[in-house]
Amino acid sequence: MSDYKHDVVFDHEYDGIQEFDNKLPNWWLFILYATIIFSVAYWLLLHTYGLGELQIEKYDSEMAAAQELMLAQASAGGITDESLTLAASLPDKVAEGQALFNTYCVVCHSARGEGLVGPNLTDAYWVHGGKPTDIHRIITDGVPAKGMAAWGSQLGPTRVEKLSVYVVSIMNTNVSGKAPEGELVE
Amino acid sequence: MSASVQTKHVVYDDGIVRAFTLASLIFGVVGMLVGVIIAAQLSFWQANFGISWLSFGRLRPLHTNAAIFAFVGNAIFAGVYYSTQRLLKTRLASDFLSWLHFWGWQAIIAAAAITYPLGLTQGKEYAELIWPIDLAVVVVWVVFAINFFWTLGKRNEKNLYVAIWFYISTIVTIAVLYIVNNLQLPTSLVHSYPIFAGVQDALVQWWYGHNAVGFFLTTPLLGLMYYFMPKAAERPVYSYRLSIVHFWALIFVYIWAGPHHLLYTALPDWAQSLGMIFSVMLWAPSWGGMLNGLLTLRGAWDKLRTDPVIKFYVVAITFYGMSTFEGPLLSVKSVSALAHYTDWIIGHVHGGTLGWNGFLVAGIIYWMVPRLYGTKLFSKGLAEAHFWIGTLGMLLYVVSMWVGGVSNGLFWRALGPDGFLQYPDFIEGLRALRFLFLMRLVGGTLYLTGFLIMTVNIFMTVARGKAVNVETDVVGFEKTPGPNTWKLIAGAPMVYSAIVIALSILLGVSGVITSAAVLAAGAVVVVAAILGIGVTRQGQGTTWHRFLEGKPLAFTIIALVAILIGGLVEIVPLVMIRSEVPMMTNAEGVMVESPFTQQPYSPLELAGRDIYIREGCYTCHSQQIRPFRHETLRYGEYSRAEEFRYDHPFQWGSKRIGPDLARVGGKYANLWHYLHMNDPRSTSPDSNMPAYMHLMTRQVSTDMMMARMEVQTKVGVPYTDEDIKSAGPNILSQGTLIADDLLTQGVPIDPQSEMVAMIAYLQRLGRGPQAITAEEPVATSEVN
Repeated sequence: MSDYKHDVVFDHEYDGIQEFDNKLPNWWLFILYATIIFSVAYWLLLHTYGLGELQIEKYDSEMAAAQELMLAQASAGGITDESLTLAASLPDKVAEGQALFNTYCVVCHSARGEGLVGPNLTDAYWVHGGKPTDIHRIITDGVPAKGMAAWGSQLGPTRVEKLSVYVVSIMNTNVSGKAPEGELVE
Repeated sequence: MSASVQTKHVVYDDGIVRAFTLASLIFGVVGMLVGVIIAAQLSFWQANFGISWLSFGRLRPLHTNAAIFAFVGNAIFAGVYYSTQRLLKTRLASDFLSWLHFWGWQAIIAAAAITYPLGLTQGKEYAELIWPIDLAVVVVWVVFAINFFWTLGKRNEKNLYVAIWFYISTIVTIAVLYIVNNLQLPTSLVHSYPIFAGVQDALVQWWYGHNAVGFFLTTPLLGLMYYFMPKAAERPVYSYRLSIVHFWALIFVYIWAGPHHLLYTALPDWAQSLGMIFSVMLWAPSWGGMLNGLLTLRGAWDKLRTDPVIKFYVVAITFYGMSTFEGPLLSVKSVSALAHYTDWIIGHVHGGTLGWNGFLVAGIIYWMVPRLYGTKLFSKGLAEAHFWIGTLGMLLYVVSMWVGGVSNGLFWRALGPDGFLQYPDFIEGLRALRFLFLMRLVGGTLYLTGFLIMTVNIFMTVARGKAVNVETDVVGFEKTPGPNTWKLIAGAPMVYSAIVIALSILLGVSGVITSAAVLAAGAVVVVAAILGIGVTRQGQGTTWHRFLEGKPLAFTIIALVAILIGGLVEIVPLVMIRSEVPMMTNAEGVMVESPFTQQPYSPLELAGRDIYIREGCYTCHSQQIRPFRHETLRYGEYSRAEEFRYDHPFQWGSKRIGPDLARVGGKYANLWHYLHMNDPRSTSPDSNMPAYMHLMTRQVSTDMMMARMEVQTKVGVPYTDEDIKSAGPNILSQGTLIADDLLTQGVPIDPQSEMVAMIAYLQRLGRGPQAITAEEPVATSEVN
């Protein structure tokens, strides 16, 4: 290419349009070659040599790391009927739970827990158990067959505990609303 | 001049160009107006006036299809017909075919504008047209192809200019894509099921969807740029060899990139990786077009001050460069993880459509119309106003979508110190986007305003001019000696390319040790190719490619082969291997299909699914949970290919204006769904979802569902004859379960209403089959 000259026009033209035959810019060629080399290397590393994680392996690693975090938290303190009942007597704790209740629960259980799509939470009748730890379990795991969502993964244990505290605090306040369902829990 | 070459008098058919140009303007206004309306609906849910056929899910396909196929499509045909006649120095081959093309295309647009609001759709993005209209599209496209290639046949210019190369690749590729993605079996005159399901349907759809962008919104417009840019700039094109390299690289690489729309989905990793790396490799070929556009302006930059046409071109090509950098970036898996399902994607696509397509088309129309009507542009001032208002509109649009997309992506993935979702409330994210939705609405309205100004300007220009058909005397070309079509196809560059491509595919499937050998062989072939062919000598007119430019048939065949390879390598293995079917070893040690597998939808659930598709729910809701902790915490276990194997068509969606629904089944009570669809604000305050009261009054037809199940068996869904025969009682009994449940909560509802079918479908999502006999109650009145 020793005879290369910049901006030499071909003698040919198309409807008056002429063409130069200039060299491809080096930086453009660099991008072209670099992306090709990257692509070959990416394929070989990930799919031929099996280095690096495919998406499900990556997910499993992410979940394993999270499990350790969960375990560390779980050992911090257990949740019992007593701990929930105690917290339900503390206005600060109840207020925290109420804020969450207003965001996630009122659409089905109404503003004061008197029931709408879901049952009345302020009476003494319970469909799936009325102990504070039952409440905690139901919020966590839900009752899919009856349309109660499992909130455990979406909200996380901290929020679920706060919500349980709030629900325990409104038990037996008997706000008039949906008719009682389930069994009487003394 | 020898005796065989004669001077001929040619009258160009500029009437057809005028018709397509004016149609493009009119449908541009319509398409953008619908865009502004649906943007308004995102901010103000009341903006559908409670009318089902104005709801977001039905109008969004109208907007995308009108913008792509009506506005840009008509502009492409206008520009292609204008430039092709002049580049080939001949009139279009057939006036009849030209006008059949024109009226056929407008009829298709009219049919789309009627069917979409009625909810007649296939439920596949940018391919929503129902099958009779699909057939019409194919026929009209073939008419266009015949007219175009026939014109090539009677050309008076031996060699094809680069613009024509791009037109050829467009015509063959769109034909292939459109036909394969629309393989479907009709159930009635207005409804069909695609033959592919689930993960395979997804791959085929995005192979099509991505290349609708590639070969409808990019290659034809690059061709137009190569004609109209140097015409307006009156400067030579920067580099012929760059044209060759970027053209072939672009069309070969583009076709592979489709799976980047499906990163982190249930599509196998290998296909995802191919989509990603070919998107990355698309960066340089795309920028080759930008370079040849912008560098052609060297020596003519002063025109930027005085000529609005050049202004439009420069901004258009700049947006092209930006979008084609952003595209590869978004295709990198980790970037997609953040951006997928957010407004960033919407911003990206509008950078391409508003900036690159819209402004290039505007520049072409401003340049072409005065010439078509033998007059001057009515007002340069109005064109300047269009330019600045449009540019401001685009910036507002794109920036608001970037900010909204990135912040929404970060919002969804944020985990608190406890390792759980920081923002579990989906609606809170939507609330945060409100201001940006408004900015987008303002930006889109400004862009439409600019476009309206252009429309007025052009119609005023037309009014004061008079249609002229350009006439000229042309000289034909002599037959010159050179290799024939088949020798060209078997030429050295083709042989080397074929070997490199074959080795690349071999590299893809080879193991650790063989891969080294394949790489070495590849290196040898590349060196041999460089030594064997040499680099194109400047100014020499006898290279292989020069000969190829004089042989349209050889050129077309090679282009077709180039665009077929990527699709074949990705789609054929996925269809053959059927990795979505769970297998197990039976007692005899033979691999058989696992019995613990997905069951087909019940007739009522299938009816609900068809309603979900009809209402365009997929335009706002995804059904694909990606394997990230933040997604599985929010929505449940990640989606697996096996779950979608009976989904004709797949409904993974591409955008989450609302939450993912892949596992919404059983999450809420029937009553919740009823309340939510009647008035979404009652259960989800601040939601912008349309209300679906009309589902209460429409009924599911048993006869229709039996016919549809019959067709489903033909595309591979294992319904038995008994299933189909008992569809009626099944629909009634499953519907009654839901209706009874709602009745106990004070809501009387027709068990065969579409509302009940929709609830049945939603309750099925992500779960095994629901009980369809009233003896096995699953849903009772109380909720916890």
